[in-house]
Order: sequence, then C-alpha cells, then structure tokens
Amino acid sequence: SVVFFFSSLIGAGKTPTLGGGFHANLGKESRAQTLQNGKRQIHHLGNQLQLNQHCLDTAFNFFKMAVSKHLTRGRKMTHVIAACLYLVCRTEGTPHMLLDLSDLLQVNVYVLGKTFLLLARELCINAPAIDPCLYIPRFAHMLEFGDKNHEVSMTALRLLQRMKRDWMHTGRRPSGLCGAALLVAARMHDFRRTVKEVIRVVKVCESTLRKRLTEFEDTPTSQLTIDEFMKIDLEEECDPPSFTAGQKKLKIQQLEKALSKKLEDFEGEISSYQDEIEIELENSRPKAKGVFANFTKDDSIEDNTSSILGEEEAEDEELEAAANHLNKDFCNELHEKDRVKKNEDGECKNGNEALVRPPALESLLGPLPTAASLGITESIKECISTKDQEPGENTGDGELDLSGIDDSEIDRYILNETEAQIKAELWMKENADYLKEQKEKEARIAKEKELGIYKEHKPKKSAKKREPIQASTAGEAIEKMLEQKKISSKINYNVLRDLNSKGSNTPKKEDDSTDDSTNTKKLSRRKSIASRNIANPVNSVGKR
Amino acid sequence: PLTPMTPMTPVTPASESSGIVPQLQNIVSTVNLACKLDLKNIALHARNAEYNPKRFAAVIMRIREPRTTALIFSSGKMVCTGAKSEEQSRLAARKYARVVQKLGFPAKFLDFKIQNMVGSCDVRFPIRLEGLVLTHQQFSRDVEVRVTTAYEPELFPGLIYRMVKPRIVLLIFVSGKVVLTGAKERSEIYEAFENIYPILKGFKKAS
Repeated sequence: SVVFFFSSLIGAGKTPTLGGGFHANLGKESRAQTLQNGKRQIHHLGNQLQLNQHCLDTAFNFFKMAVSKHLTRGRKMTHVIAACLYLVCRTEGTPHMLLDLSDLLQVNVYVLGKTFLLLARELCINAPAIDPCLYIPRFAHMLEFGDKNHEVSMTALRLLQRMKRDWMHTGRRPSGLCGAALLVAARMHDFRRTVKEVIRVVKVCESTLRKRLTEFEDTPTSQLTIDEFMKIDLEEECDPPSFTAGQKKLKIQQLEKALSKKLEDFEGEISSYQDEIEIELENSRPKAKGVFANFTKDDSIEDNTSSILGEEEAEDEELEAAANHLNKDFCNELHEKDRVKKNEDGECKNGNEALVRPPALESLLGPLPTAASLGITESIKECISTKDQEPGENTGDGELDLSGIDDSEIDRYILNETEAQIKAELWMKENADYLKEQKEKEARIAKEKELGIYKEHKPKKSAKKREPIQASTAGEAIEKMLEQKKISSKINYNVLRDLNSKGSNTPKKEDDSTDDSTNTKKLSRRKSIASRNIANPVNSVGKR
Repeated sequence: PLTPMTPMTPVTPASESSGIVPQLQNIVSTVNLACKLDLKNIALHARNAEYNPKRFAAVIMRIREPRTTALIFSSGKMVCTGAKSEEQSRLAARKYARVVQKLGFPAKFLDFKIQNMVGSCDVRFPIRLEGLVLTHQQFSRDVEVRVTTAYEPELFPGLIYRMVKPRIVLLIFVSGKVVLTGAKERSEIYEAFENIYPILKGFKKAS
C-alpha cells in the first residue's frame, strides 16, 4: 500500500537535518522531529541549571508523554520544556525554583506555573510539596559564610523547622521563609548580612521578608536566647498568622456589632423617655388652660403636675393599650405570614400570650381597624404568597417582565439632552484615534468596492486562489492536486494510476524520472534534499 | 515524618452536617436582548455606561441597586455580574434591559441563564494543606482519576481542590476559609461544602 507522507515531509522541510535524527518509521517523521527538538532544548536548558544526566533523561520522558497526549499543541514549546524540567526538579528534590526557570527564559512565572500545573495534572504525576529546607544550602552558599557555612546552615534549618511547627510556612513562598531564617541565623553567628543582600539572593520583596520576621517575632520561640533556642524545643504550636488575623477581625466585627446594638438600645430608651416627656408636656398645656386657668401659676403648676400625673397614668394605660392593640394586629399579620411559610407555631402562641391585655381603648373608641375590617386580608395574603412563587418563569414570547422595576430609577440612568451632548464631545475627544481608524477603514472598503476588488474578509492569512483542476480521469486529477500542493515529488504516480484498478501493493520508486518530469513548479532546495534522504527508507518500505 | 494514614475516600459520612452555610458572593449570568444594538448610541445617552472600542468591544454599564456590572455587546447579548443571589441577578439583568429599552431599542429578555456562582465560608479552624494534598493525590492515583488537588505555594497560597461530583472547584486556605466556584446552582455549592467539610475536619490543626 502506498503511504502518503504529507505531514512528515512538511515537518522535515522545516529543519533540514542531514543524516541524523530520523527513524525508519517514516509515518512519524514530524513526531520524531518534535522529540528531537525537545531533547535538544531540554539539554540546553538543563545544562544551564546544572542538572545531571538522569534528570535530563527523566525530563525527556515527561516530554515524550506530553507529546503523545498532545499537550504541546497550542502551547509554546519552551513553556512545555520548562514545565517538564521543573517537574523533574520537584520529583528529584533539587533546589531549583520555578523563578530560576522564569529568569532564564524571561517568561512570566505564573504563565510557566500554569503550564506546569496542567502538565502535572494530565500526566497524573504527584509533585511532592516543596520543603523550604531544600533551599537552605543553596542560599547559604550564595551568601558566602566561608568556614562557618555549615553552622549557619544548621541554625537556619533549625529556625525553619521551628517556623514549620508554628504553622508559618503553609501557603507561603518557601524562598521567603528561607530568607528570614538565614537572616536571623546569620545575625546569630555575628554575620552582618543586610536585608538587601538577603533579598538579592532569595528573590523576594523586602516587605515580604520584614513580614516574615515580624511573624516570627510574634511566636514565643523568638523570646528565647540563642543558647536556649539551640537546646530547647517549645511544645506549643502557634496558629497560622492568617488564621489569627482572621479571628481578630471577627472579634472586632462582633464587638462593633455589640456596641452598635447597645447604642441602639440606649437610643431606644432615650427616645422613649423623650416621647413620654413630650406627651406629658402636650397634655399639660391644654389642661392648664381649661381647668386650672383660675389658679395662680405656681399653685396651678403644682396641682397640674399631680393631677396631670394622675390623669397621666390613666392616659398612659390607654396609650399602652392602644399600642398593644396595634401590636396585636401586626402580630396577627406576622402570624398569617408564618402560617403561609409554615414556620413554627410556638412563637405565635408565645407572642399572643405576651400581648394579651384587655384594651381599654377599644371599649372607648369601638373596634380599631384590623386587616379584616379594612377588607385587605386577601391582598395581604396575596402579597405574602407571591414571595413564595417561582419567580423564574419565562413568558413565552420573551417579553421583558417589568414587575419590580421602578421606572423613575431607570430614568435616572439616562442622560438628558445637554448632558448627552457634553458626554458625546468628551467621548469623541477620547476616542478620536479609533474613529479616525474606522473612517479610514470604511474609505478603503468603499474605494475597493468601486474598483470591484473588494473582499468581504481580509484576514491576515491570504487565501490562496487556486484555479480549478481540469483533468480527464480521477487519477490525473489527483496528480494535479498533488502538484498544486507541492508534495508531488515524493509520490509514485504509477501506483496512483493503478489504484483505481486495485493494482499492486509494491510501490516502485521511480524517483528521478518522475521528479524531473512532473515538477514544473518551483521546487525548493529543501524538498530535493529531503527526497534524496528519503530514497532509502522508501525502498525499505517497498521491500516489506 | 508524617504519621501513616490510610488514604481517605472523599465520601461524606451520613452523620452530622457542618452547621455552616456558604454565602454566595458573586453570580454571573447571561441573557439575550434579541436585537442589534448601537453601542455608541447607548454609551452616549446613558449616565452609567462606559465604552472604549479600542480596548473592548462592549459597553460596560453599572447600576447601584442591586450593585452589579453588565457587559452589553452589539449583537444584543449581555453578561451580568456581581449579584449576590439568583433573584438579584435576574432583577439586575431586567433593569439593564429596561435601560436599553428606554434608549430606544426593542430589547427582549430571552434565555436568561446563570453561568457561574461563587460562594465562600469559614470553617473556623486552621487546615493542614500539605497533608490534604498528600492523601488526596494518593487517592486519585489508586482510582486512576486525574489528580484532583494542587497545592503550589510558589504560585498560589491556597490549595485548589477539583471535586468531581458535583463539579466544583474549591480554594482552601490555611486560615480555614474556603471559596467554592463553578456552580450552576446554589445546591451544588452547598453539596460541595458538605462533602469537603468532613475531609477538612480530618486535617484540622490539633490545638
């Protein structure tokens, strides 16, 4: 059978490889190219990171898996390579950070991180969590502690373990913690490493380092002396700083709530006193005119107050009764609501009992208006029950449902004439460039329309205009099509012609003759090289 | 050295519920106004609209009640974000449609659909994320499911847990705060939280 090597040949065309880097299995030319390319890049990048051969091989295996799962499609090769390398670093436990790779490639670390996470997920590879202790030797070396390197490292490791036990490391960049630990360890051994020097090595921000130091300061371990620290290990573990901050916030919120509630209560009391005083004053004034007008002012006031108080109490009772009655009505409404929503009845009963007091006012004024007497129980019930209805029903024709929308509110969102004019002016000024571009584009389209060469779409890739193939037989048509697609030099046309008649399986290679005869189109150098290279394998295929 | 633990299967024991209800923080919905719109016209006649054709091909409109933002496209499709409940999202979308109507376009209200819901809550105890990612990676390896947890402190301080059923992504933080996203319905958020709560309790910091 004949195998059409379209994709493989296009792939081979891109990077001319003379001799090396291809397989007998011709169908996977392109794949081989990709893998070859990947291997080269992995080695190049890996050497810059000083990874050993074993790591590089493992990385290449990851890459092969990625390619077979088509994870390289639509992604920059360099990103995938970097992700494979970082995956190896994590599984082998080397002290390389994603930041190092990002520095080498000059790519945003979060972009690399995204590719890395995807790779780990698709390949089902568990990258063990980073232990900040891994970075200590590397950073210590870069900080140049000389002979005391080992001691400082040990102290820093101990500090780091203490930080881990105090829950400072979860969710934080390990490099930041290392930086803090090394800074303190250096100071403990009389090295004057400044914050600036440390952050240059560790690659975190100054504020981050200071924050870590402050957090460590808050732990009880920071209170120990150097000697104590080296010997003693405190039992108690601290909470993570974000947790304690969150708890503090909660407490403050609760305090504020309690405070505002107390304020409300006080205000309520004050306002009730205010109301009582005002009522008294109101009552006192007209009474004074009517009944006690004859008495002298002083006496009248005294008598007023006493009699007022006497009457006041009765009035009070009446007012209280009125209030209670109204409350009872309100409570009844609430109870209706409760019944509709099927809530507990216990509260209703309690509420009723608490408010039962014979209303004196009712006997005086006759029955006060209730919902029933006003004839609005039904409407109240309706209003309450509409809340429970399914509000998401689509009207069949898709008309906009205007219920619950206040038209005046909507009108406020619309500008009037003058405002619209002003906004239009401003907008035109802001977007002058864009408008100019649009005008030019339209002018261009109009001109082209006039000239009759206007194309509806002008994408960046210009579509090749092909003349229709005119051929007498299907075989000839296929030949011509292949010519146009510029893959013709590799095809054995004799076999093609035989296809229709279900011909032989052995492809006879008539390279040179067919090449010269059929290739009227310009044949680029690369294709001829490729054809020469492929000569042997095709024969081997034929021999099968 | 971690104490050896048998891999925990993330199945909810039928016992106690958490007693904590996640609060909805954001709802994203889309609706079709079913008419072509002149974005320049809308932007120049609405008080609360901004339109930067160079930057983005839609009008950005905001209303105060419910506090939401809408992206209105010239095809007549609209995206509404920022509401805290399904009802509010629908009401807000209707208000935007009403504004467009008042500006002279025959806007309808077709195919309103909630696309995403985000909820958050607090379990009130610190969570050991390293342990969680360890055992849950083991679990997924056994069942040959894709790794469902990712914890990369270098990239993001929280653990990203992709729950399979319901299909929700949870962001779990060491302070005990949990963010749930990717739901199309409120019940999915509640269900996801009830599923994760016993797992989180297993990694509670011993105080």
